[in-house]
Amino acid sequence: MVARVAGVFNEQLTEAIANSKILVVGAGGIGCEILKNLVLTGFPSIEIIDLDTIDVSNLNRQFLFHKEHVGKSKAQVAKDSALSFNPNVNIIAHHDSVISNDYGVSYFKQFNIVMNALDNRVARNHVNRMCLAANVPLIETGTAGYAGQVELIKKGLTQCYECQPKAPQKSFPGCTIRNTPSEPIHCIVWAKHLFNQLFGEEDPDQDVSPDTADPEAAGDAGASALSAEGNTAGNVERKSTRSWAADTNYDAEKLFTKLFGDDIRYLLSMENLWKKRRPPTPLVWDNLPGKDDAPIQHSGLPDQRVWSVHECAQVFASSCSALQKDLKSRPEGDHLVWDKDERSAMDFVTACANIRAHIFNIPLKSRFEIKSMAGNIIPAIATANAIVAGLAVLRAQSILKGEIENCTSVYLRPKVNHRGQLFVPERTLTAANPKCYVCAPKPEVGLACNLKALTLKDLTSAFKEGLNMQAPDATVEGKGLVVLSSEPGETDHNNDKTLEQIGLNDGCALLVDDFLQNYEVRVRLQQEDEEKSWRLVTDADTPMPAPKEEEKSANGSNGGSSGNDPKPGPSRPKEDSESDMEIVEEDDDEPTMKPPKRRRTAMSDEVVELC
Amino acid sequence: MVENNEMELSEAEAEQYDRQIRLWGLESQKRLRAAKVLIIGMNGLGAEIAKNVILSGVKSVCLLDNEKLKEIDLYSQFLSPPDKIGENRAEASVQRAKALNPMVEITTETKSVDNLTDSYFTQFDVVCATGLKQEQLERINNACRDSNKKFLCGDVWGMYGYMFADLVDHEYSEEIVQHKALKRGPDDTEKTARETVSITVKRRAIYVPLQNALSVDWMNPEMRSRLRRGDPSYFVMKILLRFKDEYNRNPDPSKRKEDTAILLRMRDEIVKELSLPANFIVDALLQDVFGTVSGAAAVIGGVIGQEVVKAVSQREPPHNNMFFFNPLKCVGFVELYGQ
Repeated sequence: MVARVAGVFNEQLTEAIANSKILVVGAGGIGCEILKNLVLTGFPSIEIIDLDTIDVSNLNRQFLFHKEHVGKSKAQVAKDSALSFNPNVNIIAHHDSVISNDYGVSYFKQFNIVMNALDNRVARNHVNRMCLAANVPLIETGTAGYAGQVELIKKGLTQCYECQPKAPQKSFPGCTIRNTPSEPIHCIVWAKHLFNQLFGEEDPDQDVSPDTADPEAAGDAGASALSAEGNTAGNVERKSTRSWAADTNYDAEKLFTKLFGDDIRYLLSMENLWKKRRPPTPLVWDNLPGKDDAPIQHSGLPDQRVWSVHECAQVFASSCSALQKDLKSRPEGDHLVWDKDERSAMDFVTACANIRAHIFNIPLKSRFEIKSMAGNIIPAIATANAIVAGLAVLRAQSILKGEIENCTSVYLRPKVNHRGQLFVPERTLTAANPKCYVCAPKPEVGLACNLKALTLKDLTSAFKEGLNMQAPDATVEGKGLVVLSSEPGETDHNNDKTLEQIGLNDGCALLVDDFLQNYEVRVRLQQEDEEKSWRLVTDADTPMPAPKEEEKSANGSNGGSSGNDPKPGPSRPKEDSESDMEIVEEDDDEPTMKPPKRRRTAMSDEVVELC
Repeated sequence: MVENNEMELSEAEAEQYDRQIRLWGLESQKRLRAAKVLIIGMNGLGAEIAKNVILSGVKSVCLLDNEKLKEIDLYSQFLSPPDKIGENRAEASVQRAKALNPMVEITTETKSVDNLTDSYFTQFDVVCATGLKQEQLERINNACRDSNKKFLCGDVWGMYGYMFADLVDHEYSEEIVQHKALKRGPDDTEKTARETVSITVKRRAIYVPLQNALSVDWMNPEMRSRLRRGDPSYFVMKILLRFKDEYNRNPDPSKRKEDTAILLRMRDEIVKELSLPANFIVDALLQDVFGTVSGAAAVIGGVIGQEVVKAVSQREPPHNNMFFFNPLKCVGFVELYGQ
């Protein structure tokens, strides 16, 4: 199959396209557009991978899908639709996760170019490593609202996706969430934690009850409450929230009275907290604001109306009962997973967040707004995706033409810059960070932790979450002693032992590798008594500046980083943001010769730190 | 001017347009839903614009084309299935256009623009023209302008493309982000939090007609100083419009060699006429202008589609008045010509 009409491209490019094989990872907003462009241009051999299925809210931009396709595989439907544009193309669709043993280095090696059209960092990191290992050029794309970018990643030529530290996930101190919320997002985070406590996977870091170990509260009158009821873990000693709720048969009034009455009164007893803050007001179930209000005229979407506290309580009751029913219908031990698109789950979080907001004198939000914040929605639109995908395929053509050196990153700006540019290419390829713990010739990273407290299990999650490995194996450098094996059962018996107990000490180095990613990194252990969990230490550790405010608004997102600790800490990526983007930023103010600054911001789920 | 339709959005609309409403707001979506758009020229670029505009959720889109679908169309025009070669391009595109968004009314017109009266064009809120000659573009632009209707045009030649917009006298709102220090209470000694507040300001943009933008006096010192900035994309457009005028067609991939020679000759003429610096318009720019490259159509179609959304929703500053995509540098920029 040839690039379809001779003469559109010069002979060299026509030939190169005719012999090419392309992998597209992701069949969402950008993936659909890329696939269309490839097929129309006459790229003869394409594979597309996506594990997702089609949702109604995709249809405003993922134009290869129509209403009748809702619920079906994105990859498969994208393939079928694209074939109708040009039946002479060979497309293989995989309804699958790209992070799988089926797509190893040799799989990646068969492609001339890999094009990423992903919506999450974990998969981007993984494909980055696979392309580095396979030495295949990767075109990385993303959009957020009106903005977007296209970036080439090629081993030995450019920086890789992980060369620059990413903005950390937004996090809030646990005591802010549990004791002293001051913004709507604090109440939303609390409400999502409450959902998990009652119906989801119970996580001790997501406790929703008053935190008596709050350093601010320590040593005050609340201490009396502490000694009476508290335990050393800082949690009020009582049954788990879930079993307590089950005992009451999820009785809405009882749950309400505990969460929004008793617990608040308990917080009030921690008097130090309220010396400089407005104290919260406990609520009483049958006397809630807005009870007797006449319905007010509302223009706008129904979801954009802010419910009264009374209405929130009603929704709380009805969603509780629906969720309990759902939970009961599942096999013993199973749990619900919070999903912004599940009506009851979203209703529950809206109601609880608003009731709590009212208690703490925080403005109430509509279900529409809370959905954006709780679901990390970065709005995506057809036009920005079309532009970015178009640029990506033009870049792919340049690579095939042998002009890879010209394929600098291109940014689609939400508004033109001072030079009137809407698409801004960088002047030069961005060189790799020589200290990158992924693409450097000898990758190395430090891991600061308390060896006396960190268990092998924690270490595994540090490798998985911090270093984005899928199945890490670790040996002690120089000794060859296997500390951690990805083979089930081989090292599991050590899971609860601390690093010290298995003989690891300060300064010792582990060789950690992931077979699937063909990635090995040397990890130096650094003893830090104060470190409660773990954090990565890279030589290039310079604090990341906070993202420009302008960028935040342009993204229409409420997240981004906030100039916190720059190191990718023990963050737990839960749901990924569901937009087609996570990276946007570029700094092109003055023409200078220094390497362009660039920053990635991510809308990501919140993480609660223990305090 | 598109009037805001006071009718509330249905649940189906709210669901389908959820993500874009989160970006541009409900008000914009209501305005979009009331807008009637005409798209002239069902080539690759026309199809891209149609896709973007239909997905945005306008009231109606009319596809106007009097040409037959050819094989060469198929490598950028995805709205027409391959088995409809020989049929009218607008009619061949209807079915897929409808499938993109069943909530949008799709109609067709198969007459040539030359056989349609001015009042035909002014029944639409926005007219987007592609694939026409300069003289046809100017006529439709003037008709729209006289009735205060928005006019956009553009073309893609190979990998290169441009857009022109005449939104006449355009009012819009723009969100400006401001920083505000936050204090929670009089005794709040905690670090003062900074809050970003976005406020909406009303703005106005005045446009000029296409003929002004295309008849710029390059002897004027202000214009000459622009040459120093060095992007020749405006002149590439001039050369290609001239080619179309003289030969009544676009450069043909099957005559790549001959047509390149013609383009280079026209380039030399224009350089002479406008006293442009030698080598200002490099040969390479005129070698990638054959057919319609799908990626470039997507890029220009994306820009034009977004400008239609801005024109209708009256939100965010629209480009005034020309946009160019220079594929050699992969740069896309906006410049004002003719004012």
